Amino acid sequence: MQGVLGIFSELDSTVHAIEALRKKRYGDITVYSPTPRHELEHALRHRPSVVRRFTLIGGLLGMTFGYWIPIWVSDYWPLVVGGKPVASWVPYTVISFELMVLIGGLSTVAGLFVAARIPRITATIGYSPLFSDDRFGVWVESPPEHAGAVRDLLSSEGAVEVRSER
Amino acid sequence: MASTLKPVDTLPPDLPSADVHLPGVKTYHQVNVDIRSTLHPTKAWFGALSIAILCLLVGITAWMYQIYMGLGVAGYEPPVMWGVYIVSFVFWVGIGHAGTLISAILYLFRAGFRTTIYRTAEAMTVFAVMTAGLFPILHLGRPWKFFWLIPYPNWRLIWPQFKSPLIWDVFAILTYLTISTTFLFLGLVPDIAALRDAETHPIRKRIYAVLSLGWRNSDQEWRHFSRAYLFLAALSTPLVLSVHSVVSFDFAMSLVPGWHTTIFAPYFVAGAIFSGIGMVFTILIPLRRWFGLKRYVTINDLDAAAKMCLLTSLVVGLAYLTEFWVAWYSGNEVEQSYFVARVFGQWWWAAWIMLTCNVILPLSLFVQRLRRNTTWLFILSLFINLGMWYERFVIVIPGLSHEFEPWQWTRYSPSAVDWSILLGSFGWFFMWFLLFCRQLPAVPIAEIKEIVPARLRALGKHTEPEYTLPELEG
Amino acid sequence: MSDTSAPPSGVRRREFLKVLGATGAATAAIGCTSSHVEKLIPYLVQPDNDNTVPGVSTYFATTCRECAASCGVLAEARDGRTFKLEGNPEHPLNRGALCARGQAAVQGLLNPDRYRGPRMRRGNAWANITWDEAIALLAQKLAGVQGAASVFLNRHESGAFPAFLDQWLSAHGLAPHLSYDPLLDGAVVQANLQSYGVAWPAIDFTAARLIVSFGADFLETWGASVPQQLSFADARARGAQAPRFVYIGPRRSLTGLNADTWIPCAPGSELAIARALVGNGSLDDVATQSGAPADALRALRSELESASPALFLSGANVRNAFELALAVNDLNRSHGSVGSALLPDRAIAAFEGASRDADVIDALDRMRRGQVALLFVRGVNPVHTLPAAAGVADALAKVPFKVSFSSYPDATSELCDLILPDNHPLESWGIAQPLAGEMSLQQPAMRPLFDTRATGDVLIDVAHRTAASSRFGMTSYRDWIIEQYPGGVRAFTAALEKGVAPGRVAGRMSAPRSTTAAAAATPAITPLAEGEFHLVVYPHPALGEGSGANKPWLQEMPDPVSKVSWQSWIEVHPTVAKRLDIVPGSVLRVETSAGHVDAPAFVYPGIRPDTVAIALGRGHTAYGRFAEGIGINPLTAVPVALHPGAGVLALSGAHAQVHTVDAFDELVTTEGSARQHDRGIAQVVPVTALLSREERSRLPQTVANVRMPQAENAPAEGGEEEEEYPGKPDTDFLPGLRSAVAADAQGELVSKNAKDRGMYALDHWSGMAKRRWAMTIDLARCTGCSACITACYAENNVPTVGAPYQSTRTPGYQGRPGANILRGREMTWMRVERYYEGNVEDSSFEARFVPMLCQHCGNAPCEPVCPVYATYHSPDGLNVQVYNRCVGTRYCSNNCPYKVRYFNWFGFGEANRTQYAWPEPLHLQLNPDVNVRGKGVMEKCTFCVQRIREAESRARLEGREVQPDEFTTSCAQACPSRAIIFGDAASPDWTVSHVAADERGYHVFPELNTYTAVVYLKKIVHPAPPEAPSGA
Repeated sequence: MQGVLGIFSELDSTVHAIEALRKKRYGDITVYSPTPRHELEHALRHRPSVVRRFTLIGGLLGMTFGYWIPIWVSDYWPLVVGGKPVASWVPYTVISFELMVLIGGLSTVAGLFVAARIPRITATIGYSPLFSDDRFGVWVESPPEHAGAVRDLLSSEGAVEVRSER
Repeated sequence: MASTLKPVDTLPPDLPSADVHLPGVKTYHQVNVDIRSTLHPTKAWFGALSIAILCLLVGITAWMYQIYMGLGVAGYEPPVMWGVYIVSFVFWVGIGHAGTLISAILYLFRAGFRTTIYRTAEAMTVFAVMTAGLFPILHLGRPWKFFWLIPYPNWRLIWPQFKSPLIWDVFAILTYLTISTTFLFLGLVPDIAALRDAETHPIRKRIYAVLSLGWRNSDQEWRHFSRAYLFLAALSTPLVLSVHSVVSFDFAMSLVPGWHTTIFAPYFVAGAIFSGIGMVFTILIPLRRWFGLKRYVTINDLDAAAKMCLLTSLVVGLAYLTEFWVAWYSGNEVEQSYFVARVFGQWWWAAWIMLTCNVILPLSLFVQRLRRNTTWLFILSLFINLGMWYERFVIVIPGLSHEFEPWQWTRYSPSAVDWSILLGSFGWFFMWFLLFCRQLPAVPIAEIKEIVPARLRALGKHTEPEYTLPELEG
Repeated sequence: MSDTSAPPSGVRRREFLKVLGATGAATAAIGCTSSHVEKLIPYLVQPDNDNTVPGVSTYFATTCRECAASCGVLAEARDGRTFKLEGNPEHPLNRGALCARGQAAVQGLLNPDRYRGPRMRRGNAWANITWDEAIALLAQKLAGVQGAASVFLNRHESGAFPAFLDQWLSAHGLAPHLSYDPLLDGAVVQANLQSYGVAWPAIDFTAARLIVSFGADFLETWGASVPQQLSFADARARGAQAPRFVYIGPRRSLTGLNADTWIPCAPGSELAIARALVGNGSLDDVATQSGAPADALRALRSELESASPALFLSGANVRNAFELALAVNDLNRSHGSVGSALLPDRAIAAFEGASRDADVIDALDRMRRGQVALLFVRGVNPVHTLPAAAGVADALAKVPFKVSFSSYPDATSELCDLILPDNHPLESWGIAQPLAGEMSLQQPAMRPLFDTRATGDVLIDVAHRTAASSRFGMTSYRDWIIEQYPGGVRAFTAALEKGVAPGRVAGRMSAPRSTTAAAAATPAITPLAEGEFHLVVYPHPALGEGSGANKPWLQEMPDPVSKVSWQSWIEVHPTVAKRLDIVPGSVLRVETSAGHVDAPAFVYPGIRPDTVAIALGRGHTAYGRFAEGIGINPLTAVPVALHPGAGVLALSGAHAQVHTVDAFDELVTTEGSARQHDRGIAQVVPVTALLSREERSRLPQTVANVRMPQAENAPAEGGEEEEEYPGKPDTDFLPGLRSAVAADAQGELVSKNAKDRGMYALDHWSGMAKRRWAMTIDLARCTGCSACITACYAENNVPTVGAPYQSTRTPGYQGRPGANILRGREMTWMRVERYYEGNVEDSSFEARFVPMLCQHCGNAPCEPVCPVYATYHSPDGLNVQVYNRCVGTRYCSNNCPYKVRYFNWFGFGEANRTQYAWPEPLHLQLNPDVNVRGKGVMEKCTFCVQRIREAESRARLEGREVQPDEFTTSCAQACPSRAIIFGDAASPDWTVSHVAADERGYHVFPELNTYTAVVYLKKIVHPAPPEAPSGA
């Protein structure tokens, strides 16, 4: 895997670089930013995230468990307390709700991990510590033949630093 | 400043963060520098930490003594079967509500002042819930059997009794602890990444690297992160409301006069948020002073939080009045005699502490000058903590001591063991918070940058600003 | 109502008689060898004879010797240890009932502070010696002594032993013994002997139309309390036919609180009132003289004209008590109660043969003058039970050699030179004479626990070494009584099975003395000086004169009147408290010519404003860990006032100064609020209202009311429409007995899709779901005597928590007696609440007693809040508590409106804890059927579930159903007024289902829809007849 990394110090020039690269279609673009910026999202035009599906499924699972376990347990040991029906769904709604939140929340995090591919153990190329400080980065995955053109484009868009990495 | 920003050609003018919250913060780099500068232990910090641990040790000793001797060493006086421990449990759970409320609900409402205070509030939440979770265990007659309340699989298939509000508690508290911890950690990940990138010490760098899960600030990560964060907020919002409602069910589901009432759920939630914000002030105001974070936690944010405090205080006050009205309107002699006893009985002073601290003093927040006076806010927050502890006291103890059976009416007075364990709980809480605030950013880095204007070529070339900024008010 | 008075214990009686058929004989057989000490049978070793089968109880019919009345008891023994006493239903005196003191005899038997063997004084120290040495020493000491130079002070008891003792003494040429009973009302005995020729005629309250008691506390310690209480309860439960009860005295005792009218009069003025009632003396003079309200006296006199027979009782312990007793006997004769309500021909023989107080005082004088060389003390503690002014200790100091047969170290035995510890009555043989024609046999229920020996045996051994050996050929006291026994050994052995036999053992009769009761001898009521009070001293209902003080059950049992335990108190009137500006617990000093005592004040509306009252029984200097240093002994402030004629000691009536002491001693009381705030806990119905309703209640549909349609025609799977469930409170009578929820507990409303309802299903083979255990408590019968509390302690291993050594860890009250109770940590599964009604400022207030125990709600609020199923509803309607599962959240107790759940705050049941309630050998009393709870778990009344299961198992073994009223709970069994009835309310064959249908039945807090299984029957109040204005 190889490509060109352009480091920007201004937001708008980063956005312009992305727009330009998208027109040229040199290769996949990864944009680094110290903080999520809507401008960048707009420029990249991503599809909506898949995390929401995890949340939905997890929540439904939790809700089901929350009713199923108490009802099954009550019928397994049919003990009468306070003259209430042995398996009474009303109090179990609380359990169900809490489990919905719990499992829903945890599966959301799982979804994030899966979708964003974290935790990431291997230190990958094309990253600069500055991206968590105040610099923006554009990583263009491009074969060597395009590398020159990409570097020119990036520097013309105002990248403070442009380097090829492999 | 937004007006000065002229969009260059096709750049969409979608810069909500351009209207500036933090006049004192100019650049992203400054954020990193300022916030990283808080992450180093000082003598004062070590001193505070050792005091906290000392209190904790006192509490632990008291608890060991109580386990050995039996609960009789606490001040219980039947039929007052619940005492300081349950009072403190509800108190701490209440404290634990501001965090998620601020981080989740205000996030959904896009409240601007949320960004700077939410990390502190959330950490406070996690540690408060950790503290609260101890009390139901140490108030048990046989604490070593506490796991019987947890539905763990066993070969005899003996399970807890899911109709009991105490089991609901177990679920609610554990869920709340898990979710709020996750929420806190998730928000920390990009900041830890920032620390990692700036760290030079190899071992600390490695630790941060592990904690940051290899975060790279890439657009893929950011967009899934935002989604996940949003959904977690969406899940946490009903959770916050549910947790203290469930805690209130411990009382509302019983027959005890003064407990058995339908307003408890909203009443408790409002009280919880109220006390939580109180504790936020108690922690945040010294923090911003000692950590030199006044540019970040601005007086406007505190002002906004104070308004929320005022609102919840009014709700709580209304709840107090409603309780009395219900008692009068019900025509139930038992209920009425209890409420008379609450204000004029043996605990009249507790009731009046409650009313003064929770209803009367917060009215001062109608005055803007007081809202923006951090000293007053700090003093008031201490009163609020006291008042909210006594609110729970007034709910728990007079109700039990003035029940249906006049023959069993009784008194109650906490013993030294009760007080020691309460002290220990404060030690436990502050120990964790102190450990947190010097190791991990108490003010978010990445999210602050969202409300700091990004550098734009459109504004022309400018040099790195030097950090000689005027001292801010408050 | 009469059917309810029958003790509900039919089959059980036959059961144990079967057992006894075998065991009684066996006991007799081994009894011959009972003189040599044997170890208790170890728990695990197979017992060596058929007398003890592991796990199966043996019942010994024997006799209670706690007071002179000598009721019949059944001692339940298992694996060689006796752990429970119950009344013997066959016994003519107590008919199965037993008072608190009787039940506590077990704790006397297993008392940790008993003498463990003979000992003698060497210098100032005690030296343990062998029995041989002791007997040799005694024989040698006897040698030189003659006639009146020896005094034998024996506790008064009826039957064979006094005769044996006199025979032994005469054989050694010694004067007959003194039979001393501090509790016996000598004045009444003297008067009765003079009037009727018998010491104590039997009393039948049912025959009376009006009861007038001049300070006679016949529900407490006056006379034979158990039979009196049985008869009184029977009388009071007769509704419209019940007699009214007027109590005349300076203080409302427990008996006084049971009266319909209280006429407060100064102590000593009772006589004037009695004479005025006869007719001589104008009422107004008497009223002014006695301080009694005149209109009340007038009302009483006018009421006496109509009410006949009217029963009069005198028990005031004042200087003119003897004249009062005579006047009362005249009143009885004139109002036709002699022969109807007062039965001299059915005399209670137990009180015959008692010496007069004068004789004891005289003996003390002779000691003081050094005329006594040898003193024997057995079973009495004169140093504690006689006024300090009598100088008993000094007198004893003058006696060169003093022998004590006491089983426990006490103030008297501490002063003696030789201790020959007697066996406990439950380890001894004997014959008592409760009634003129009935003997009550006494047999060992247990081998001697320590190296003690029955005094009879000891004396016989002594005789063998003296000149008297020829007259004592027998080897043991048992042989001697069998010689005396009509019919010899065979008849004796046969009678042991029942414990009672007709006939009369050669006992000791007290000849009617000609005591002069000249009116001149009557000391006039001396008017009080400024700031003076009358001092009234009365025996504690449970501790008596003090012999009960070493039994934790009796110390812990709240005094029925003051509800104070582990403490002495001084009763003062609220107005006095206001005047002295004191609160309950402020320490007062009562000072008389004789001395003074300090004790906390108990502000009590039931005492005259010019009177203070103190109970006897506490303030021991040496009586074991449960008695020492607890409370005070009022006798230190009582002057010796001996009646010139009758030789009776008067304890009450002295004039006293009352000062406030700058100290506060918090009252160890279980009382919260003495008012029930109109919450309907203790309800009453006026007898007039009852009259009008009785016709309706005669309709035969009462039973149908409690019969549960559900139980009979419910489908097997119990499918039932929720809408028309049984027991809607508004539709069904007594919803508790088959409420919606009870029905659900019976498995009728369980969710249809539940595959298995287990034992809750009506068609389950165990048939448990067909039952509903329930209890009725008749407040018209209940006198508040609290015997049920002790019965519960005894049956259910309920720990006592008030002993000083248990209080060491209670914050703020370290080492203080009753500290745990001050903190409300008492464990009584059953408590008797005493509520005042009406104006407590004057004498017209009413007291209501409510025994409060777990109501076993069909819809128990405690159950759904328990997170771990530690409490749930059993198929037969019990609210079950699973100790092993309890984690101690105490939520159940919070949610219990009746507050009848009790928590183990300390390790009361853990032997290695300072708070352990049963120091060895007291732990032998623990009921093997009931486990002992450790610290941190909740406990409560179980309706004696162990008895229920035992009965069910027995029935299953014998292949039969459980018979109606086959068994009952411990409290119901003991109740001396038969107020409690237990059984299966789901079956109309059980008594409880009929009684529960009574028109007086009600539930406590029905508005909470708890559907309790305990049905209270309203107390019946008897307002004064309309033609006469009510007293006060």
